[in-house]
Parts: sequence; structure tokens; C-alpha cells
Amino acid sequence: MTPPAVRIAQLSCGPEYSGIQQEIDEAARAVNGEIFHPDLALKSIQKDFDAFGLNVRSPDLRLAIARARALVEGRIDADAIFIATCFRCAEAAIVRNELRRYIHEHSRLPVVSYSFTERTTAGTLLTRMEALTTIARRRALLAREEQTGITLGVDSGSATTKAVVMRENKIVGTGWEPTTEVLKSANSVVAKALAEAGLTRDDIEAVGTTGYGRFLVGKELNADLIQEELTVNSKGAVYLADRQHGTATVIDIGGMDNKAIAVQDGIPGTFTMGGICAGASGRFLEMTSKRLGVEITELGPLAMKGFGANVPMNSYCIVFGTQSLVNALAAGSSREDVAAAACHSVAEQVFEQQLQEVDIKEPVIMVGGTSLIEGLVFAMGELLQTKIVVPHHSQYIGSVGSALLASGFIKDD
Amino acid sequence: MAKVFIYPSTSLILADLVMRYGHTPLSSAVAIREHIQTAGFESAPLQISPEDPKKGLKWAAVEVPSGVRGRMALYGPMIAEAEAAIIINDADLAFGCMGCARTNELIVFLLRQKEIPKLDLNYPAGEEEGVKFVAAIKKFLSGLGGRP
Amino acid sequence: MKEYAPVHVGTITRYVVVESFEVTPQDLAIRAYEISKGVMIKETCFGLTIMGKEEEVDRIIDELRRVDPAHIFVKDRGFPPGDARRCRSSLGGARPGFHGMEFEMTVIPYISHGIEELEKRDEKSIPEAKNPLDRRTLDVDHLKKIIDAQET
Repeated sequence: MTPPAVRIAQLSCGPEYSGIQQEIDEAARAVNGEIFHPDLALKSIQKDFDAFGLNVRSPDLRLAIARARALVEGRIDADAIFIATCFRCAEAAIVRNELRRYIHEHSRLPVVSYSFTERTTAGTLLTRMEALTTIARRRALLAREEQTGITLGVDSGSATTKAVVMRENKIVGTGWEPTTEVLKSANSVVAKALAEAGLTRDDIEAVGTTGYGRFLVGKELNADLIQEELTVNSKGAVYLADRQHGTATVIDIGGMDNKAIAVQDGIPGTFTMGGICAGASGRFLEMTSKRLGVEITELGPLAMKGFGANVPMNSYCIVFGTQSLVNALAAGSSREDVAAAACHSVAEQVFEQQLQEVDIKEPVIMVGGTSLIEGLVFAMGELLQTKIVVPHHSQYIGSVGSALLASGFIKDD
Repeated sequence: MAKVFIYPSTSLILADLVMRYGHTPLSSAVAIREHIQTAGFESAPLQISPEDPKKGLKWAAVEVPSGVRGRMALYGPMIAEAEAAIIINDADLAFGCMGCARTNELIVFLLRQKEIPKLDLNYPAGEEEGVKFVAAIKKFLSGLGGRP
Repeated sequence: MKEYAPVHVGTITRYVVVESFEVTPQDLAIRAYEISKGVMIKETCFGLTIMGKEEEVDRIIDELRRVDPAHIFVKDRGFPPGDARRCRSSLGGARPGFHGMEFEMTVIPYISHGIEELEKRDEKSIPEAKNPLDRRTLDVDHLKKIIDAQET
């Protein structure tokens, strides 16, 4: 039986005129969500807008502000909130930020904000919508703090595929390899993890999948839980870092996109996901290590010995930024300084373009493969002025989160 | 009969008075109707597709938000067509098609650039102001020719 | 991408809004049905929406305006009556444009008054409406008058 649709209140300015409203509707429908536009009388719009106190000029932004207040005060019922405004609109960016913060602080409604262009598609919005509906629908599941029984978690990422076998709250087997063919890579890492655990597929009581290939792999493994990586990674991060209660911020710089998630008691409150620029991804660091002739695993320690500010970087871009690094090498910069500059470049772009969209609350937990590059973690810590936590098995975050949550599906559990 | 661009373009009051006194109002609805009645690919609700913000590049550069450019694809051609304009200056509560302040600033600017008769007013705040408001519009419109 | 095949091509739709103590949307609907001749008429809380060929719609509107000229207002609508894409029931809330109309309805009694008065008064006797762009500083002669008035 299909559960009732999750009611998502849309607070927006511009999607109808950018030609993308139907993309928003479609993404919501794909995860059994239903977009609605909260109904308010004009008097209430004026009153709520005045009471909020952010005097913007665009009427549709005023309407969004008034609707947010009605939702937070419970005058209008919703399960989740989606905030969407035009990319590059300063006025809208201020409203988007302030509304997100206001909703997060004054209600338990999950909220995601997004700035779109006319190129935004349902596909781009899907993971965000899925996370939004998951948080609304599966609070009970996300409240799970311990792994029980024997479970398998598979994270089919764009760059690497990872698997973890867990038994009674312990990681007993892991498998990792670069993603080539989605299913082949998945089967291979599962075999490795099982071998390490000394178990067979039949011993597994529940399976969870996440990452880009989650649907395909989930079908192949007959998974009990197929879940996007935003909620899974938050859960995995606070579990591994032993910060399941209170606030936390999870940063995952991935191979193709980055996630920044503000977490409260293990449940994502607000989050952003960026994926436009390769210069802000693990790819940039891969390119740098190739150019420096070192393994990606050696880049971090190398960067820790260098000083990034010695290398002038003209751009964050994976093409032109790398060019700056090459020029610096040619001009006599040390490899250590270049490695440090590359780490700083990635960290700074994530900091400038994504972390501004979530409220950073300590502890800041970095996860994913890139969290093993110490130089990157150091650079991020410098920018955020905090000591960043990198939990054990942080590169397996999605798999651990999946295995943990999957144990909620063990039949006699 | 003159084509009169009305601002706010969603205004019932202006659309009515322009029609009532014998001219053709150029309003948001007219541009939306054209979209709704044109075949193409589905893009609910307004049939404004991602192609429209690209058409909007004629009036606003690529660094201008897509919502502004999409709206300009509606208003730009009508501004070009306009033979006169009535502008209500304190229209702060016109939403939807008029919901973006940046677009609205650009529309008014383009109208000011154009050498056509223009009438600037505020919404009336009382009965006597209502009389002056209607009288001003009637006088302005009769100056445009056509049936009184 | 799904193909879009428009319906009601070549028609127009207009709102007819009633803001009157004497005429209700229902009264207007009855009158409109009498003269509709195949034109689509939908009654709403604020009046009617009428869809059909432009001449037909205008013919009906001309008739309807006669019922209460100063209290019936007309504007175009992009969508045909009851279109689900703009309907409150399918959107979960009013389309944003509705609130603009809600605002204008607070002003419309002054417009009705203006239309009525214009019929009665000599138009030349009506003072000009203030031009909001006119931000002239105080006229010198007027300032002098104020000063003189203060001194006496």
C-alpha cells in the first residue's frame, strides 16, 4: 500500500517564470511528495511580512516570508518545506537564508532550499526531495542509534563503491573499489566485505543501499532500504563520531557533488548539495596528485608540510586552477606548497559556495573519501576556525549509515 | 483604439478603465494566454518553458536571474507594442506575474525610455482621490484618440 | 518531454468582477446565461469568468456592464475558466495573482465612486490627481504665503 503523500509546502519566487515549476512538481511526485502553496489571506500576508521584519521589495518574496510564518506557527499544516528562488538574485538569497534559519530554529519541519536556473531539472532536485520526504516520513527509522543483527550496507558512489558488513553494532567487514560498472563494482565490494567478515550472503539479515547507483544496486541485492545519501550519511557520521545527540554539521566532499548538512539529534535539518563545479570536488585533488606524481593517499601528508598561501591561485576551476598550480611548479614552488594550495582551493570554494547555506554548529564532522586527505581537513578547519572531527571508517560513511538503518528492517527486530 | 501598457500588468482597475474608455489594455493575462494557447512541450502551470528565459536575454543579460528573464519574455514584446502606458507607482502588492521587484524596475525603466504618452498615478486612498484618479485616466485615454 | 496540445485556441477569457450592494454574482450569472449563446460562463465568488470568441464575450460583457456600470469591472484572464493549473483546489492555495486582486478590491469602492461622480460633475472642475513623480520642492510664492500667514 502506498503511504499518504508527504505534503511539501513550496515557498518560492520565480520557478513558474523560469519554466521549472513542473520539474519541482515532478521531483516531488517521484518520491511520493505533493507540492502545495500555502493559502493565506492578504491581511495575513501583510501582517506576517511586517512581523518578520525583513523589508524586501519583491511581492513574491514577501508572500514566501508570510507563508513561512504561517507554517512555523502551525496555522498551516505541512510535513516539509521546499524553498526555491532564482540563482543570482541577491534579494532572494537573503530571504532564502533567513527563512531557512528561521524555520530550522522555530520548528521541526525539515527544510531544503535551492537556487535554480532555467536549466534545473527534476533529476537535479530528486535527491533533495527524497531526503526531504524521508526526514518527514521516517523519523522513527532515523532515530535508530544502534546496529543490531547482521546487516550489509552498500554505497554506490559516482567515483567509488563501498560496502560494509556490520554485526551487533560493530564493523566486521569492508570493501572498496573505484566505480566502473555499477553492478560489477557493487558485487565485488560486497564479496570483499563478506570475505573479511567471514560470512556469506545468506548470513545477511538486511541490506541497505545508497549513493548514485542505489536503485540499481538495491534491486540487484534485493535491498530492504534504498535511501539517498543525505540522510544516510548524516546518520552514519553522527553514529561513527559518537555524536548522536545535539547539533552537528556534516561535510562530505564527494567525487561528483558535495553535501553540507546541519544535523540535530542525528536527523538532517537543513542541507545543501552542490554539484556544478569540479573544482570543488575530490576530482580536483585527484588531478593535483596526478600532476605531482603522487598517490591521492600521499597528497594529504604532503600538503600538511606545505604552506598554500605561497602559491598564487587565480581560479577555483579544475582547468584554470590546475594551470595556476602548474605555473607555480614551473616558477619554483615546492610540491608541498602546491599540494597545500590545492587543498585550500577546494576547501575555500566549498566554504564560500555551500557552507554559507547551512548554519555551522559544532562539532563539524567530515566524511567520505576526501576526509582522509589531511591537508583538506586542515584547510577546512582553518576556514571554519574549528577542529574538525574525522571519525574512523569515514570513507565508508554511506555504507555504515545504510547498514545501521537497514537493521531496522530485520524481521523479528 | 490605442494599445495601453498597464502597470501593474495584473491590475483589474487599470484593465477595466482602459477597456471602459475604449482602448486595449496590454496586460499579463494577454501574454500568458498566448503561451497557454501555443502548442509545444508541456511546462505547467504557465506554459513558460526554459526557452523563455533564453528569449528574455533580449532584455536582460545572462547574469540576470532566470525569473527576471522569463518574465521579460512576457513583457518585452508588449512594451515594444505599447502606444501608451499608465503606471501606478505604489503597486507594492501585485504578486505572481508582477511578483519580482527587479523585473518591475526593468519594465518601468523600459517604459520611461520609450517616447509614448505616459500617466503616473498612485492608488487612490479615499473617495475624492478616486474621483481624481478616474478623471485623470479618462482624460489621458481620450487624448489618445479613438472612441471616447 | 510531453507534447502540449492547447485547448480552446482562439478564444479569450475575461473576469467580470462585481463589487456592488445591489447586484450579486448570482444575479449577474442569471443575466449572463440568458444571453450566453454557447459562450462558457462560470460563476465564482467574486463574479464570473466568461470564455468564448472575443466578439461574443464582449457582447455579453457590454450587456452585463449595463446592470450596474460603476460596480462591474472586467479584466482579461490567461487561462480558461476552472483550469486545474490555476485552480485553488489543485494548488493547495490561491495563485499568487489572486492576492493582487484581493488588494485592488480594497481600492475599488473609490473607483466606483469616481466613475459615478464623473457622470455627475463637470470634468474640468475636478482637480488633477497628484503625479507621484512630481517631487518639486516647495514653491517660493507658496512658502512666502506660509511665512506671511505665520507672522500675522
